[in-house]
Amino acid sequence: MSDTSSVALDTDQSFSRSAGKQLLIYAGYGFVFIVALFYFLSVAATQVGGAAGGGAINFEENSITIALRQEPPQLDHTRASDAVSFTVLTHTMEGLLGYDNDNQLTPGVAERWEIREDGATFWLRDNALWSDGQPITAHDFVFGWRKVLDPATASIYAFIMYPIENAEAINSGELPPETLGVRAISDSVLEVSFEQPTPYFEKLVAFQTFYPVRQDFFESTNGRYGADADQLLYNGPYVITEWVHSASMRWEKNPNYWNKNNVGLIDTIEVAYITEDVNAKLNLFKDGQIPNTQLVASMLDSAMEQRWNIDRFMEGSIFWVVSNFREERLTNNYNLRRALQLSVDPVEFVYKVLKEPGYMPGTSMFPYWIKGAENLFRQEHPPIEHVPNEELARQHLEMAKQELQLDEFPPLVMLADDSPVGNMTTEYLQAQFSEKLGLEIRIDKQIFKQRLLKANAGDFDILVNGWSPDYDDILTFGDYFASWNLNNRGRYNNSELDRNVRIGQTSLDQNERMAAFAEVQRITYEDAVVIPLYERGWSFVVDPRLKGFKRRVIGPEVDYRFAYIDRNGSSAD
Amino acid sequence: MTDYADQTSSFNATDFEALERSQDVNVISRPSLSYWQDAWIRLKANKRAITSLYIIVFLLLFTIVGPWVWRIDPAIQDLDQISQPPGTDRSALIVESYVAWDGETDVGNGLRVIGDPNSQAVRLAWDALENANGHRLYRNRFPVGEEMAFGIPLAEYFDNNIVTHEDRLDVRPDTYFYSVVALDDRGQVTDNFQTIEVEVERVTTLAEARERGLVDEGSPLQVGDSINLEAHPLGTDYLGRDMLARLMAGARVSLFIGIGAPTLFVLFGVVFGSVAGFMGGRVDQFMMRFADFVVALPFLLFMILFKIAFGIGPGESGVLPMLIALVVLMWPATARLVRGQIIQIREQGYIEASKLLGASTPYLVLRHMLPNTIGVVLVTLTFEIPRVIFVEAFLSFIGMGVAPPTPSWGSMSNEGIRTMLITPHELIFPALIISITVLAFNLLGDGLRDALDARMRNQE
Repeated sequence: MSDTSSVALDTDQSFSRSAGKQLLIYAGYGFVFIVALFYFLSVAATQVGGAAGGGAINFEENSITIALRQEPPQLDHTRASDAVSFTVLTHTMEGLLGYDNDNQLTPGVAERWEIREDGATFWLRDNALWSDGQPITAHDFVFGWRKVLDPATASIYAFIMYPIENAEAINSGELPPETLGVRAISDSVLEVSFEQPTPYFEKLVAFQTFYPVRQDFFESTNGRYGADADQLLYNGPYVITEWVHSASMRWEKNPNYWNKNNVGLIDTIEVAYITEDVNAKLNLFKDGQIPNTQLVASMLDSAMEQRWNIDRFMEGSIFWVVSNFREERLTNNYNLRRALQLSVDPVEFVYKVLKEPGYMPGTSMFPYWIKGAENLFRQEHPPIEHVPNEELARQHLEMAKQELQLDEFPPLVMLADDSPVGNMTTEYLQAQFSEKLGLEIRIDKQIFKQRLLKANAGDFDILVNGWSPDYDDILTFGDYFASWNLNNRGRYNNSELDRNVRIGQTSLDQNERMAAFAEVQRITYEDAVVIPLYERGWSFVVDPRLKGFKRRVIGPEVDYRFAYIDRNGSSAD
Repeated sequence: MTDYADQTSSFNATDFEALERSQDVNVISRPSLSYWQDAWIRLKANKRAITSLYIIVFLLLFTIVGPWVWRIDPAIQDLDQISQPPGTDRSALIVESYVAWDGETDVGNGLRVIGDPNSQAVRLAWDALENANGHRLYRNRFPVGEEMAFGIPLAEYFDNNIVTHEDRLDVRPDTYFYSVVALDDRGQVTDNFQTIEVEVERVTTLAEARERGLVDEGSPLQVGDSINLEAHPLGTDYLGRDMLARLMAGARVSLFIGIGAPTLFVLFGVVFGSVAGFMGGRVDQFMMRFADFVVALPFLLFMILFKIAFGIGPGESGVLPMLIALVVLMWPATARLVRGQIIQIREQGYIEASKLLGASTPYLVLRHMLPNTIGVVLVTLTFEIPRVIFVEAFLSFIGMGVAPPTPSWGSMSNEGIRTMLITPHELIFPALIISITVLAFNLLGDGLRDALDARMRNQE
């Protein structure tokens, strides 16, 4: 009995010992395998993503690594409509005119120009070349502009060319593109005829939509123009040599650019990160992976602690609440709109809720920086002072109820972007309207593209959106509420406002123009068309070694064209 | 045969007399316990489970009774106390109502404060700096120091005639260092600057104090007195809404989904599983393959589809489609479990016996089978509750759940995560309450499983 049991115990032990051994061996194999796998993966990752990990600034190679907010959907400038595409395009293309480092209009492909009442002439420089070495001719502009207005292109920004003769008719398909009032008199002279006097035309042609396209190259891409790095022909300070979609881009200095000694001082710009996440970008900045980043309100305390040199920039755009004026909408009622207007306090909203130091409370549909005849427009024509008044707001709401024969207002739909600031805006407004007026607001948060679609379809009562300037003239904001402007999402239609916009578009007398826009400003406030909420600005930090980096109101939102690396840069200077 | 007869003959009459009633024959040494009593005793012995049970009861009270005790509207915005952590000093000085500044300044030299700096506004004036082509004004929480870090740029004036600025940007009771820096002719910052230290006091106005009900109509409160602003025991969120009230309101959504959905889908799973298990054969095959099919359906996609199918417009609550999506998609686990149990029980001897005695099918199912699965079902239920609470929190976190301003723990976490680094309480409280709830239900489920498991009882 005792013998057998001890034998059993022995075999049990040897069994468990050998089993344990085997298990250990397997575990060892597994461990080695995992280590090998990870090593292999990390090697593979560095092989593929060569751009990452290089650091923000590389002195030896004269290159920098940056982050972009989004990926450009495509880079065909005849169809581009978003700020990121415009930013990339400004670095890689050049129009007839451009802006210099101090935001002054400067010659681009055109050496000199002349603006008359009925048209304009541009003389192109001889040494302006495409990136493949061929010269840029006036024909390239004619082809490009016709392309923009061709209804088949469906360019969102086609309207910006409407001052050119026949442009509107061509865009609506009534006339063939060949009838456009643009002619190449020779390879180097471009002649433009106007539909109506356009004193600001020189500012217009600096806009990205007016860039040239070369016909033979365009046709060789078989409709893929701008879809990839090699499907584009460049004429600006940089060429895109690599474009890994939704991952990275590489911009290299364009050896054929005529002004390469003054513009495009950094040899290579690696776009290694494409992200909208400000927190991620802050971490990249802290790790020295990118040379600059934006700071939002929640980061300012720690930025102050880090003792960074915080900079600010007014971005030029204005955000507002617009009502829907379509017949079937309740917001078509003046008293309801007025009640909404009187219950919003932009000062409180910006200073207490958003708390962004770059932001300015909205007071007018025209931002503060818009130039008037001599001074700033708002100095010459101060807007009506907005005084929030709960009592009066409720009276107007009562009147609206009677006029609309309603006992109770149905919920109003407020359409807005699904973004952090967008959410704060809508929830603040929702609470204000409900506390002060007892109105129920349904928030319709959508991503930007979807929001744009819904806004265009008029699928809202109240819309929270913003408008960025396209060119440096008051008209870029002034015609927003004109009945013919498709950006006027609420379809506001007021003949008096339209008349004033027409004056502002055509008059050559700056004082008369500004007086007309002052009327537009008055009407949009008194008729409660728009409730300006804030003018947007950024706080940001830049690596002290990177000099000359700019953010711009007009043109690219981030501009590295004039940036250079200062080896001795430190935070002290 | 004969022996037998012999034995019987040895009986006498006394053998057939009734015995005396004995007191100690039928005494059971321990009290007779039903299934539930026994389970309860064993649960009580499990400290973790009992603590969890108390927490759950407290949570229910918090949700149902809480809003009656803490009568603050979770949607009301207290804009004077935005993102306040709990326990912040909330005394405020009563001052006159805010009047726009006409830019009038005292005489003085250099950068100086005009009037009293308070949380309404800090008014600053300075003299144009030497060689300046405009000025930029900064505010810092630290002295400027060697790095020339001026802090937050507040404003920029390209005009030497503008030498005043009114700072109303999120002015908090704190010590600020204001700096005015000269700009060169290209608008760039130079190293020519002046700085000043300012102590800011929290203030409110008489009208606001009355409107908010901080003081009675007839109280003799005057400008210069000090009062306490509204109390927020757990602080406020980024729009000045009371965190405690929002947690209570959020609990309503979270627990409604968390308890409602599992109850419904576990019930459905029990019915489905017992039918499949009892019928067996082809019906069973068919029903269980259907359950497999449901398991394969992607939850998030269906959640979105339901939202559209129900015509839930923008800004409307997505709680109902969430409930339905949960019920429709999450029952198969319970159904499988119950089916397995039923198949096992079906082969037991007592079922055979009951059948032989002529028991009908409903009797068999209701009397013998379901009661024997109830322990498993109950345990599943307590494990499904935390899972669903978590799913709800996740969906609200990504914006698929409740519509603002209705809070839910998930959406509150989403709002809190944006300012995690500077006001962590906005994230910590909802996250903590989610964690505690989920943990409590899980531990209770664990305890219940131990208490109800018949096999474990035999081991003791």
